Order: sequence, then C-alpha cells, then structure tokens
Amino acid sequence: MWAVKHHMFVGNKKQKNPIAATTQTIADGKDAFSHYCVACHGLDGQNTGVPFADRMSPPVPSLASKPVQDYTDGQLKWIIDNGLWPSGMPGSKGILSDDEVWSIVVYLRHLPPAGSQGEPEMYSH
Amino acid sequence: MLKVLCISLLLVLAAPGLFIQAENVAPPSPRRVEITAHRWAFDSGAVTLKKGEPVILVLKSLDVPHGLRIRELGVEIKVPKGGTAEARFTPEKTGDFIGHCSVFCGAGHGTMTLTVHVVG
Repeated sequence: MWAVKHHMFVGNKKQKNPIAATTQTIADGKDAFSHYCVACHGLDGQNTGVPFADRMSPPVPSLASKPVQDYTDGQLKWIIDNGLWPSGMPGSKGILSDDEVWSIVVYLRHLPPAGSQGEPEMYSH
Repeated sequence: MLKVLCISLLLVLAAPGLFIQAENVAPPSPRRVEITAHRWAFDSGAVTLKKGEPVILVLKSLDVPHGLRIRELGVEIKVPKGGTAEARFTPEKTGDFIGHCSVFCGAGHGTMTLTVHVVG
C-alpha cells in the first residue's frame, strides 16, 4: 500500500520547493502548521497531545516517520493541497496559500524533537 | 544708489543661506499606498509601484486580524482586527510579485492575494 501511495496516488513528485530553509521560513512554516495541521498532527508534527491520533483508521502517522519523510517536497505539497485518501487527511486548497504550504513543507523537513512543543492548546482545557 | 547698495548687501548676506537651503533639500516623501483587507480579499487586488521609489504600504483591516507578506520584496505587515499598520520599503527589482495574507483568517484565507507590479 505504501509503495502504491508513493508512486501512483500522490502526484507532483518532481516539483521543487521554491522556499529555501532558513530560520525565518521554518518559523513561517511552523506558524502556518499551527493554524491548520496542529489539531491532528500536534505542534511537533508527531501527534503529541492529540487524543485521537491512535484511534483514527488508519492512525495519524508521525510526520517525522520514514514513510512521510520519503515523499518528495512536491508530493508533500500535493498531499497538503489535495488531502490523502483513504486516510482522514483533508485538502487545504483555498484555505492555505501556496506560500504557506511550501513553508509547511520546509517545517516538515525540520521538525522539532517529539514532545518539545507541548500539546495543542485546544486539548489542554 | 543707497537702494542698490542695500539690495546688494542683502543678496550677499542671504547667499550662504540659499546654498545651505539647497544642500538641505529633503528627499521626496514616500508615496503612501493604502490597501484594505477583509475576509477574504484585499480590496484593490493589485497595486503598481515604481522601482527605486520609496513607498509606505498602509494595511487596514475591516474585520479580523490580517497580514500581508510579499516574500520576494521582503515586506511583512500584520494588522490587528479593525486596525491599521504600515511598512516602509523601496522596491529594488521590477516584475510581478504576489502578496498573501500572512495571518490565518478563516476558510478563504489561502485565496487572499495581492499582485504588486513593480515597473522601471
């Protein structure tokens, strides 16, 4: 299934990220990530503090894991734009700008250590 | 004759002041460009600026917090809800540049763009 997803369902393999990784763009990516992705992926992209992460079918993957990191930057952009069937990953087209999505891809390549960011505020009340 | 002398004297005394004034002429004040933001659009959609001409972009929000980031021009403005904020910069390259809202403002946030034409 992993190989099929990587090679057949997820397009945009060759597109390069126009945004270079700098302290600023990683921070921009983290900022955009915290608006849209954090509810399911946690602040660290590794599901920290997300109460339902293991109960989804399929479970929410750690974005630091090899299967996720093996996607190219272009494929990660495609997944964020279009979502990923049959997982619960929704698309973000129109909700996030291209600039933000590419920034998120930068952040995904520079995720902080698991647990280092605490849990999303929405789950701490 | 006395009149001529007086005028000559006045000119001689005033001349250094004229030179000093000429040296202290202030550069032209930056052009102010006002942009209004609301969910989910910038009012004008596009602005045209001149390369090398200093400009003050004034961003006004009509509702929730918004932002404007034009990454290629190094511009970033964030405005609180209903407020106004500004950024001063000088475009140093020509072309068309796309600015985005940089403060998440809801479902249509990703469609909030502003095209900046910089002409020579």
